[in-house]
Amino acid sequence: MLTFVLRRGIGLLISTFLVITITFLLMQMIPGDPAAVMLGANATPEQIELLRETWGLNQSIHVQFVRYLVNFLRGNFGESLFHRKPVLEIIGQRAETSIWLGVAALLVVVGMGIPAGVLASIRPNGLTDNAMLLVALSGASIPSFWLGLMLMTLFAGRLGWLPSSGFTSILQTGNLANLKSLILPAFSLGFVNAALVARTTRSSMLDVLQADYITTARAKGMRGWVVVMKHAFRNASIPIVTVISFTFASLVSGAVVTENVFALPGVGSLIVQSVLKRDYPVIQGIMFIVAVLYVVINFITDLSYALLDPRIRYRG
Amino acid sequence: MVVDGLWKFATRRRTTGLALAILLSLLFIAAVGPRIAPYDADELRMTERLQGPNRTHLLGTDHFGRDILSRALSGTRITLLLGVSISMFALCIGLPIGMLAGFFDRFGLLIMRVIDALMAFPAIILALALMAILGKPGILNVILAVGLVWAPRMVRVVYSATLALRESVFIEAARALGASTSRILLRHIAINLISPVIVQATFTFAFSIMEVAALNFLGVGIPPYVASWGGMMNEGRTYIIRAPWIILFPGLFLATAVLSFNLVGDALRDRLDPKLRRAM
Repeated sequence: MLTFVLRRGIGLLISTFLVITITFLLMQMIPGDPAAVMLGANATPEQIELLRETWGLNQSIHVQFVRYLVNFLRGNFGESLFHRKPVLEIIGQRAETSIWLGVAALLVVVGMGIPAGVLASIRPNGLTDNAMLLVALSGASIPSFWLGLMLMTLFAGRLGWLPSSGFTSILQTGNLANLKSLILPAFSLGFVNAALVARTTRSSMLDVLQADYITTARAKGMRGWVVVMKHAFRNASIPIVTVISFTFASLVSGAVVTENVFALPGVGSLIVQSVLKRDYPVIQGIMFIVAVLYVVINFITDLSYALLDPRIRYRG
Repeated sequence: MVVDGLWKFATRRRTTGLALAILLSLLFIAAVGPRIAPYDADELRMTERLQGPNRTHLLGTDHFGRDILSRALSGTRITLLLGVSISMFALCIGLPIGMLAGFFDRFGLLIMRVIDALMAFPAIILALALMAILGKPGILNVILAVGLVWAPRMVRVVYSATLALRESVFIEAARALGASTSRILLRHIAINLISPVIVQATFTFAFSIMEVAALNFLGVGIPPYVASWGGMMNEGRTYIIRAPWIILFPGLFLATAVLSFNLVGDALRDRLDPKLRRAM
């Protein structure tokens, strides 16, 4: 198990290094002098020169890269051009909303996807199964922002049941009722992925349910549900875990647009605003954090395989 | 022969035939769109603003009195154009790199690490960052930004297919006969990559038009004066409660296009490569 963790750990470090390198190279692609771009149109040549000096832009590219790497590892992501505050601080202020939204969407994904998949696998080609296939197929083709807007028209506009936009911090106000503003966003974000998880759960369960040990368990006289949950589900869970970990990237992508639709003050709306304002340090910071999160989640997924399936542990 | 094969492909499953029919009508709309549109897509008629679907404006009008149907039809052309360009771009990068990576171990090990790292950036985040780096909103920049997001995924598909092909007996035979590396790559491997690549290109198309719509919706894609489905939905947001049809119909066009491409992609995959048939 230790070799397994160590090996994956080294892979994690390499990936992080590559992610930093890619962000660095992408930022090198910005046309023109970065210092001039960063300081805006009103900067004097002296200011630009000063910034070039502090950033080491007058040095060769590999010296710049090492400097960049050291800064990143120290958690120094630079300063926002627009807010004139450290990038990490700005992202930190926006993180709460995005984390709540992510957790809520994941609850939708897991809470709807897995039960629906298990139900469908018990009666393949039944009503639940076919209805779900339809939802999964159309769900994969509906843009989450459009779904969000339509839900907003219906539930916030026509029916007036739920707030249409905005979110107030729960950590600051202590008011859990604020979560109500996240119901519509979380649903429109999670729905598509829930359909995907449901399909995977179904096919994985179907494979397992045909295995001999399931027949044995049933023959011993165990009740249907116990067999399904205790014997089948655990063994069917590896592909499900994989799909759920894949949903991270798609949830992040979806969140960027969903936060925008529902005017949520999260990291997703921050990156859109930063792109519109050409606030490069913030864009770079968000890119880095999201990519590293992705790499770390993959690492955790790998470890969870080993926990779920002893064979993977020994193979290393 | 070809027509016969196509007919069989289209009629084997009801959904495939339907999806193909939708695709063909979208192509038709893209080709003749402005001519069959009832109005000029950009003509402002302030007296007729925010009308719901009615007899003169079948899908209603927006806040400038522009006809939604005409704008949606006009958006079809730009959507298909972008989808094709992005898929082609991803293909032109993905095919050579993926093939070389799959064939030469050292190069493959190195390049696939980079590809994996690129894929660690969620699609929209990378596309947004690229749009910011490339500068102004514009059609070419959208093709580049979204194309660069999907190219690594194409590399992955080509890479794994090449890896599998490389070990086949017929490649061994070709080598025993003294075929050069370039001949093996071009005459034997590339030919056999056609089906996985076509399938992947279909999915790239579906995903990329969705992503383009998202970029346009966020206001960082193509310029707002060009009628696009995402752009229309963006403009309609202010009036969402009063005039939901401004958003409803472009979204339906988009979802239909994406769905038909996904269905055709699924059917192609089943037809061309039964081994890859997915669980769905």
